[in-house]
Amino acid sequence: MNWEVRIMRSGISCFNATLFRKNLGRFWPLWGMASFIGVLFPLTLVLQILRQPQYVVTKLDVTGGYYSIAGQVAPVLCLIYAVLCAMAVWSYLYSARSVGMMHSLPIRREGIFLTNFLSGLAMMLIPFAVTGAACVAVSLAVGAFDAGSLAVTVLLVLGNCLFYFASATFAAFLTGNLLALPAIYFLLHFLEVLLDYLVSSIATGFFVGVEDVYAGVLECLSPTVYLLRNVGVNYIREDVVITPAAGDPYTSRELVDVVLENGRLVGFYALAGVVLLILAYLLYRRRGSERAGDVMAAGWLRPVFQCVVTALAALGGGVILYELIWRGLQYGTFYEAVPMAVCLSVGGLIGYYAAAMLLKKTLRVFRGSWKGAIVVVVCCGALCAGLHADVLGVTTRVPALGEVAQLELRLAENTYILYAGEDDGLLEEALALHQAVTADVGRIRELYENDYDYEGMGAETVHTLQLEYTLKNGLTLHRWYSIPLTRERMEEPGTCEYLMDQLVNSEAMKARRLHMGDSRYAVEGGYCSGEYSESEDLGSREAEAILTAVGQDLAEGAWGEYDWFGDRDGLEYAIYLELSFRRTDRDAGMDWITINVRPEMTHTVDCLLRLGLVTEEDLVQRIQLYPESYPETVWEALPASAGVIGGADTMTSVMVMG
Amino acid sequence: MIEIRDLVKRFDGFAALSGATLTVPAGSVYGLVGPNGAGKSTLIRHLTGIFRQDAGTVRIGGEDVWENPGLKARVADIPDDWYYFSQASVRDMMRFYRGFYPNFSMERYETLKDVFRIEEKRPIRRLSKGMQKQAAFWLALCCMPEYLVLDEPVDGLDPVMRRQVWSLVLGDVAQRGTTVLVSSHNLRELEDVCDHVGIMDHGKVLLERSLAQLQDNMVKLQVVFPDGVTEVPADLPVLHASKIGRIHTLIMRMGAKEAEELLAAYQPLLVDAVPLTLEEIFIYELGGADYAVRDIVL
Repeated sequence: MNWEVRIMRSGISCFNATLFRKNLGRFWPLWGMASFIGVLFPLTLVLQILRQPQYVVTKLDVTGGYYSIAGQVAPVLCLIYAVLCAMAVWSYLYSARSVGMMHSLPIRREGIFLTNFLSGLAMMLIPFAVTGAACVAVSLAVGAFDAGSLAVTVLLVLGNCLFYFASATFAAFLTGNLLALPAIYFLLHFLEVLLDYLVSSIATGFFVGVEDVYAGVLECLSPTVYLLRNVGVNYIREDVVITPAAGDPYTSRELVDVVLENGRLVGFYALAGVVLLILAYLLYRRRGSERAGDVMAAGWLRPVFQCVVTALAALGGGVILYELIWRGLQYGTFYEAVPMAVCLSVGGLIGYYAAAMLLKKTLRVFRGSWKGAIVVVVCCGALCAGLHADVLGVTTRVPALGEVAQLELRLAENTYILYAGEDDGLLEEALALHQAVTADVGRIRELYENDYDYEGMGAETVHTLQLEYTLKNGLTLHRWYSIPLTRERMEEPGTCEYLMDQLVNSEAMKARRLHMGDSRYAVEGGYCSGEYSESEDLGSREAEAILTAVGQDLAEGAWGEYDWFGDRDGLEYAIYLELSFRRTDRDAGMDWITINVRPEMTHTVDCLLRLGLVTEEDLVQRIQLYPESYPETVWEALPASAGVIGGADTMTSVMVMG
Repeated sequence: MIEIRDLVKRFDGFAALSGATLTVPAGSVYGLVGPNGAGKSTLIRHLTGIFRQDAGTVRIGGEDVWENPGLKARVADIPDDWYYFSQASVRDMMRFYRGFYPNFSMERYETLKDVFRIEEKRPIRRLSKGMQKQAAFWLALCCMPEYLVLDEPVDGLDPVMRRQVWSLVLGDVAQRGTTVLVSSHNLRELEDVCDHVGIMDHGKVLLERSLAQLQDNMVKLQVVFPDGVTEVPADLPVLHASKIGRIHTLIMRMGAKEAEELLAAYQPLLVDAVPLTLEEIFIYELGGADYAVRDIVL
C-alpha cells in the first residue's frame, strides 16, 4: 500500500528533483565557468578601487553599471549562453538511446519538460546570481548599495533569461539534431535582419530610388537587435553650483540621475518567452521519440524547412553568384533580370537539394526530385520577372498625404522634418515633388547607368533628394535620388527640378530653416568661428540675437535663396556659423543649420561684430582666400574693390581693399 | 497481463508494425523471436512508453502504457543499447533510478552487489560491454518491477553470468509473479527459460503459443517405408522432408499420434517421433510463411 501512494504522487508530479539535481550536476562545468567569468567583473572593480583609493563610487555609478549590464550586456550574454544551456538539458532528445531511457522513466512528458526547463533556467541564472552577489558585496563595501536599481536589474535579468532560454527551448523542439539546434536558434533570432538585408539589397538592384538601408520594419522579431537599439541608460546631468571651502563657487555638470529607458520591453519579451514555452511544450507532446537525429522533429516542419532554406539560398546565394560572376563580366548599376534569374535559380537549387539531403540524411536525393527543382527555377524566374516589371509599383510608390505621419526630407544641404497635421501644406508640396521624381525616373536611371556622368546628359550639376517617410501604420519608406539639374528644366513648370526649386526656395521653407515663429523649436546655441577670430560656442542669448538678425536679412531678401548651381560659391565670408535648435513640445532631438554669411547680409554681419564673435578682419570672402578653388565665372561676380596680393603666377593671399 | 492489439507504427511511411497482436499471460516468461527488422524492438518501445502507436492498443495490467507514470513505475526494461550518463558510475545511476522508481530496493541493491561484482564507483563507460549489461540488470532488478521487458538481454554476457542472470529473473517470476517479455535471437536460450513464445515477422506476430502447444502442434518423425516406396507419398501433409539412406525425416503440422495414424496407411517399417527444438519450430513456421530460412540460420 505504501508504494502505491508513492506511485500516485509520482504520477501527478510535474517536477522531479532527481532529474533537476542530475542536470545541474552533469553540466556544472557550463554554469561554473560562466559564474567564474561573471565574477571577474566585480573583481576588476575591486582592484580598480584598491589601485585608486581616491576614486569615489556613488550609488548613481552603481545604478548606471547595473542598468548598462542589464540593458546592453545581458541580451548578448543570454543569447549565446541560452543556446549552450539548451544544448545541455535537451541533449537527450537527439539520441535514440538517451531519449529511450528518458521516456521510459515513470514520469509524464510535462514532468520531464518542466524539470528540464527549470534546470536550464537555473543554469542560466546561477552565473548572474553569483555575479550579482559579488557586485552587491562590492557596492555594500564602498557604501554605494542601491536596492531599487538592484531590484530592477534582477527583473531585467530574469526577463532576459526567461525569454532567451524559452526561445532556445522552442528551437530545441523544432529539431532532432544537436548541431541543428544552434543553427535554427540563431536563424530564428536573426532571420528578420537577414531577410531585411537580402530584400533591401535585391530591391536596390532592381528599383531606382530604393535605399540599401536596414529598414527594421519587423525588428522586434530580432530581439537582440531590438533590445540593444531600444533599451538604454540615460545619464541625466545638470549644472550644479559648487561652493568649495576655499575659493570661488563654480558650476560643474554633475550626474543627478540614471534612468533606464524602455526596460519594459524586456517584460514583453519575457511574456513572448512564456508563449514560446507553451509552443515548445505542445511540440513536445506531439513529438515522436523516433525523431531523434532528424533535422526537423515534426513531419509538417520538413517542407517548411526546405522552403526556408531554398528561399534563403536563392536570395543570398543568388546575389553572391551575381556579384561574383555576372558583375565580374559586365558591370552595371542595376541587376539584369535574366542573369539574376539564373543566379537565383542556381542558389535556390543548391539550397533545395542541401535541405533535402539534410532531411533525408542521404546524398541520394536527385532521383524523382525534378518537379521540386522546376518549381524552384520557375519561382526564381517569376520573382525576377516581377521585380523587373515592378509589378508591385515600388518605383512609383508615393504615399498619400493621409498615410504619412512624418517625413524627413533631406534636400539642398538641409534636413526638414515635416509632421502630418502640423505641416500639411509643405507635406503636400514634398509629395508632389516625389510624384514628379517618380514620373521622371528614366532620367535618374540613365544617370546611374552612365556612372553619374551628368555632363554627358547635358546637366550642370547633380543634387540629392532623400525622403524618409514614417507612415501612420508604423512602417517606414525610404527613397533616395540623385537628380541631374539643368537651368532650362528648373524653369519649366511641372518638372521635378522646378518643383524642387519651388519647394526649397519658398518663403515657408526659408522660414522653416530658421524655425522662425515656430513655437515648437527654440534656438539653443551654436558655434561661430572667423578666419582670424577664436572659435566660440554660442549661448542661447547670442544665438537668439543672431537668429533675429538672419531673420531680418531673410525679410529683406538677403538670405535664404538656395544656389542650386553654385553661382555664388566662394562669395560668402570665411565665417563658420551654426545655430542649433531644440524641439520644445516633444523629445525629437536637435536640429541645426549652417549659415553662409554673405556681404549683403548686413544685419547678420552687424550682429556678429556687435557680439564680438568676429572682427572686421574676418570679413573676407572665401574666394579671396582660396582663389584657386573657384572658377573664373565666380571671379566675375566679385566686386572690383577686391584685390589680390601675391606673385605673378600663383595667388597666395587676398586683401580686402574696401 | 500484457496485451497488444492491432498495433500499427509507421516511420515516414514505412510500416514497422502493421497490426501486431500479442498477449503475455501474467506471471509468464514470454519469448518474442523474429528476424532482424521484424519489429521486435519497435514493439518493445511501445511497451515501455517510448513510442506512441499510430493505431491499436498497448495495455499492461489493463492500463494504457502511454503517459502512465503510475504503471511505468511497475515496469522495468533493459534495452539492447542501454543508456547511461557519460560520466556516471553504477552508484550514480542507482541514485538516478531511485529518484524515479518508488519501489527501488536498496536492500536488493546491496545484495546484488555480491552477485555482479562490479566496482560501483567506476564510470560505466569504462566497463566492458558484458559488465555494462550486468549493471543494467542490477539496476533493473532493484526497481522491483512487476513487469520486466528485456530486449536481447544476455548479449555480451558470459555463460556463467547468463545462467546467473536468468536464475535471478526466474526467481522473481517464481517468488513475486513478475511477468517477463524477452526478445532474442537466441532460440536455444529462450527454450530453456520461456513458457510462451511469439514469432514476429514483417511487423506482425505470426503466431504465439505456449511452448507445450508449439511442441504438440508440430512433429518430427523418422520413417522407413516398405520396399518399393522410395519417395514420400504426395498426399501426406509434410512441411519438410529429407532422406538419409532409407530413413525419411518428416516435419508435419499435427500431433504425433495423428501423424502416426496417417502413416499407418503406408505400412512403414519404422515410425519414430523425435522432439522438435524451438529453433526447428521457428524455422519451419516461418518457412511456411514464405520466409527465407537461410537468413535466420542461428
